[in-house]
Amino acid sequence: MHDTTRYFYRPVVLLFGAISAVLTLYVVWLTLHNISLLRPGRESFIGLDNYLRLLTDGRAINALGRTVLFTVAATAAELVIGLAISLLVDRDFRGKRIVRAILLVPIVMTPVVVGLTWRFLLNPTNGMMNYALSIVGLGPVDWLGDPNVALFSLLLADIWQWTPFVVLLAMASLESLPEDPQNAARVDGAREWQVLWHITLPALKRALLVVALIRAIDAVKAFDIFYIMTRGGPALSTETLNLYGYISAFTNFDISYSLTIAMVLTILTNVALLLLYNLAFRAPKQGQA
Amino acid sequence: MRRIAFWIALAILLLCVLFPLYWVVATSLKIQRDAFAMPPVWLFSPTWENYAKVLSNGVFIRAFLNSVIISLSASVISVGVGALVAYGLVAQDEAIKRQNEKFVLSLRIAPPLIFIIPTYFLAAQMKLLNNHWIIIGVYAFVNIPFAISLLITFFEDIPRELRDAAKVDGAREFTIFREIFLPVALGGIVATFILCVLFTWNEFFIALVLTGRDTQTLPVSITSFLTFQGVQWGPLMAAATLVMLPMLVLGMLVQGQVVRGMSLGSIKG
Repeated sequence: MHDTTRYFYRPVVLLFGAISAVLTLYVVWLTLHNISLLRPGRESFIGLDNYLRLLTDGRAINALGRTVLFTVAATAAELVIGLAISLLVDRDFRGKRIVRAILLVPIVMTPVVVGLTWRFLLNPTNGMMNYALSIVGLGPVDWLGDPNVALFSLLLADIWQWTPFVVLLAMASLESLPEDPQNAARVDGAREWQVLWHITLPALKRALLVVALIRAIDAVKAFDIFYIMTRGGPALSTETLNLYGYISAFTNFDISYSLTIAMVLTILTNVALLLLYNLAFRAPKQGQA
Repeated sequence: MRRIAFWIALAILLLCVLFPLYWVVATSLKIQRDAFAMPPVWLFSPTWENYAKVLSNGVFIRAFLNSVIISLSASVISVGVGALVAYGLVAQDEAIKRQNEKFVLSLRIAPPLIFIIPTYFLAAQMKLLNNHWIIIGVYAFVNIPFAISLLITFFEDIPRELRDAAKVDGAREFTIFREIFLPVALGGIVATFILCVLFTWNEFFIALVLTGRDTQTLPVSITSFLTFQGVQWGPLMAAATLVMLPMLVLGMLVQGQVVRGMSLGSIKG
């Protein structure tokens, strides 16, 4: 009998394949020119000049450094805080369902609104954050206006929004763990921190790596809160590569160069992901949950 | 003692999560003078004047309608196409299924920047930047892979015997899809649809680039409150509340699926 089910998926998969192939070729072709919307009709083929320009563009290099810093810091902080919280609430108590629902709130909140909220809370003169600091005799801090602090403020907003995501995923894996090994260790006289370090954490390893990957991918692409809270400022101190690419394209209208930035960002992200993925999943799968 | 410590820690946690949200809503209900008072005003009689201001703003209403139209249309397309593809893939061998799913999802790892700039460039040349269909199409393109992978997980729960029995009776594939898979997996389909709406509604970057004056969605429109001399925090917070409130409601409706959906949406994609 002729199986017709493949007609359900083939056309769409082929279309997606074709679109992405054409788009990739088109992007590569564009990066080999010097197309700028400010100089219409004067574009020419310039080979790899855009890529060479990127290598010597201090602003781009700095932006790349900030992207790495932000991604690593956000992922690490969210993972550590999220894990700590999930261990805290991994027990039966009244209202657990409500806590779970509340943790969902930041996750589904519109990121632009999250940015506005934190911009409001971090307002140097009238914000709650500085008010809270002033109560304990500190501050005031110019959260978004001081180049040394601004990236940290963005980190704060990102951590607020996405730590609950780590918590909810870690809670789910904790609940699916068998309790026998932990109890057996306790019977053998292991202390709580030993149980945690030698039994619970190794069992969570896989789930945590997946969460870390998810958060890292999103952090590299982070745009909304950056655009709302600082737009890369002050003095470019919060400009990530993603943001620099956006500004090149839509403020400077330097289409070819911005695509070169996007291309390099995509390649670097994919290479980093592949490395991480292989490190994480090719390694001996001890304690796979 | 340990119990007390636990409850205190939990209270601090909930305070950290909820306070920013509370402060936004509270500020939206204050008069201009109280919204900016230092020390902050904790007790106030709520006023609706900020909401009245926002709701009488034609640009905001327009953006609200745009957001509704765009997110509903894009999600209908995503779930419709996604369901067909998922149905086709679930019927294949495990290897073919995984391979195709992986391919489609791998398209989502790229930062939006790389496909948005050429799309913008082409749309600008074709004078399509102020057109609803361009943004609906891009959102559908972005959400279809996600819809496929989430729907596959729901379709896999449907016993194979149902499909086999129908085939023995001589039913055509599309009939099986419509008469058996859609009704049985309805809950999952609705959840997928709601998640698509949520993602589309909240999305900012693509909308910022690809929408024009007539197609602006809410997240883009709300930034126009920021550019004026001195931010009008009262009306801004009222607008922010109106933007996020529907998503909080939707999020609660599909509580169990949000985290599952989001991890599908970004990892594998």
